[in-house]
Amino acid sequence: MLVICLVIVFPLAYSLWMSFADVNLLRATGPALELFGVRIPLFRYVGLQNYARLLADPLYWDAFWRTAYFVGAFVCETTVVGLGMALVLQERFLGRPLMRSLLLIPWSLSRVVVGLLWIGILDVEFGALNGLLYKAGLIESYVSFLKSGFSALNVLVSVYMWNQAPFATLLLLAGMQSIPMELYMAAEVDGAGYWQRLRYVTLPALRGILFLILVVSTVNGFLMLDLIYILTMGGPGNETTTISWLGFQTAFQFFKFGPGTAILYTLTVLCLLLTVVYHKIVFRRLEAAEL
Amino acid sequence: MRPIALKRRANRTVVYALLALVALWLVGPFLWLFVTSVSYQRNLLARPLAFIPPEITFDNYRRILGLVRFHAELQAAKILPSMLNSVIVAIAVTIVNLIVGTTAGYAYARFRVPLKMLSLFALLFTRMLPTIVLIPAYFLLFKALGLQNTLTGLVLAYCSFTLPFTIWIMKAYFETIPADLDKSALVDGCNRLQAYYRVVLPVSGPGLVAGGAFTFMLCWNEFIVAQVLNTKLGTTTLPPVIAGMNAQINIDYSVIAASGFLSALPAVLLVLAFQKYMVQGLTAGSVKG
Repeated sequence: MLVICLVIVFPLAYSLWMSFADVNLLRATGPALELFGVRIPLFRYVGLQNYARLLADPLYWDAFWRTAYFVGAFVCETTVVGLGMALVLQERFLGRPLMRSLLLIPWSLSRVVVGLLWIGILDVEFGALNGLLYKAGLIESYVSFLKSGFSALNVLVSVYMWNQAPFATLLLLAGMQSIPMELYMAAEVDGAGYWQRLRYVTLPALRGILFLILVVSTVNGFLMLDLIYILTMGGPGNETTTISWLGFQTAFQFFKFGPGTAILYTLTVLCLLLTVVYHKIVFRRLEAAEL
Repeated sequence: MRPIALKRRANRTVVYALLALVALWLVGPFLWLFVTSVSYQRNLLARPLAFIPPEITFDNYRRILGLVRFHAELQAAKILPSMLNSVIVAIAVTIVNLIVGTTAGYAYARFRVPLKMLSLFALLFTRMLPTIVLIPAYFLLFKALGLQNTLTGLVLAYCSFTLPFTIWIMKAYFETIPADLDKSALVDGCNRLQAYYRVVLPVSGPGLVAGGAFTFMLCWNEFIVAQVLNTKLGTTTLPPVIAGMNAQINIDYSVIAASGFLSALPAVLLVLAFQKYMVQGLTAGSVKG
């Protein structure tokens, strides 16, 4: 526990401090904290200046709305595709264990590799999707999917979804296994068709897991960074710059740690707020259901 | 009877069609990565594109393994050392996690730990926390401590991200083992530690495998932290090296695909080998990943 405090709480506090400070990495002098002979620079305290500049910056707000779109689209796609795959895999068929193993493949890949292999599919010169569409006669010449900002953003959403949805499917399948067969039999006796059974038996039973997927994919969507690095680097222009990329860029490409950590902290607060809001909504729902 | 039988058959057809679609969606891109990695770049550029490669070559693999000279061999020469770094870091973090994480998980599952709820909540909180917010702090702290560009620093950083997961997974797992087992061991004259090591751990194999494999996978695949903290040549892990190759214009995609496929293989094989335990462990601990 002490170790965890040391490796998480201290860095956390330190970066919170940085978000209120004027961090200059080149200057070796200035206030510092001496701990066991190690000199940890403290930098000059500037109060809310980093945050004030941030909130006045139109670039930040652009990134904010882009992130909102990204997260919204990502959560929807992950839930829908995850649920769809779970429903298909839930059916009885030959080779079911094999199919469940296949689910783990996209999820166990490094995001660097995920990015790479989708470059192989979407690239404007050698992409397989372009090859396929060209062969089918649907396009005259190869399309650059990452060239226009909006399509690049949607590509990012879908690629990340490809990586993450299988995990949602795994959770949903585990949940479906715990639904008693009798419920389905009873529903069938009552004359319920496939869609009615889905609506009145399966989905209500999976409410908890769906909520979990919602929360997890929201947080993951906010934090997605590595795929942007591989696929678009925030471009074209700034059109795929989300808050996490903006923070990363500010801190580690421009080495402005103060504003960078401030951006990342707004992100942290957003994530936590949303988690709390989700919790509230679901608890109210559950209470209402019990009444 | 006939219309019903007909409908059944139609349903089956629909199910298998959907299954084929799902399978293609899950594996197709990964298979294509392999196909490109054994193709010549010129065949990938050909129009119309041949989906079954007309020529198969292992030249790309020979290039990245340093067996054949080519124009970007300096870049490619980084792959094997960085792979070794990846292995060292991932194994070290896994070992630390298995020792510290399981013991802490056991303590949470069995004892009244002071501030139990608070500390558990703190653990949960760290899972919701964006790890990137910690990286600037690590960057400066490690610089002050001389841990920048060292594997030790990377291990330390990874432990801080992975330990909360491991503790939660193991806590959930130990809670499924009846507490009577420890009690009878205590009655038989073991002390707490002996009861843990001699009785509880040996029956916790699946949980340990799940936690260990998951930790290894996370470390093996991690990119951003390694990219930022270990920038010096020869100190970083595999993902940043591959990302660096990808950013260079003069390297053929087929070569990058080969290195990507090579780097993906260990994690994929590991997950497939231990899938039974991992799925159990993860759905129990319901981890973000």
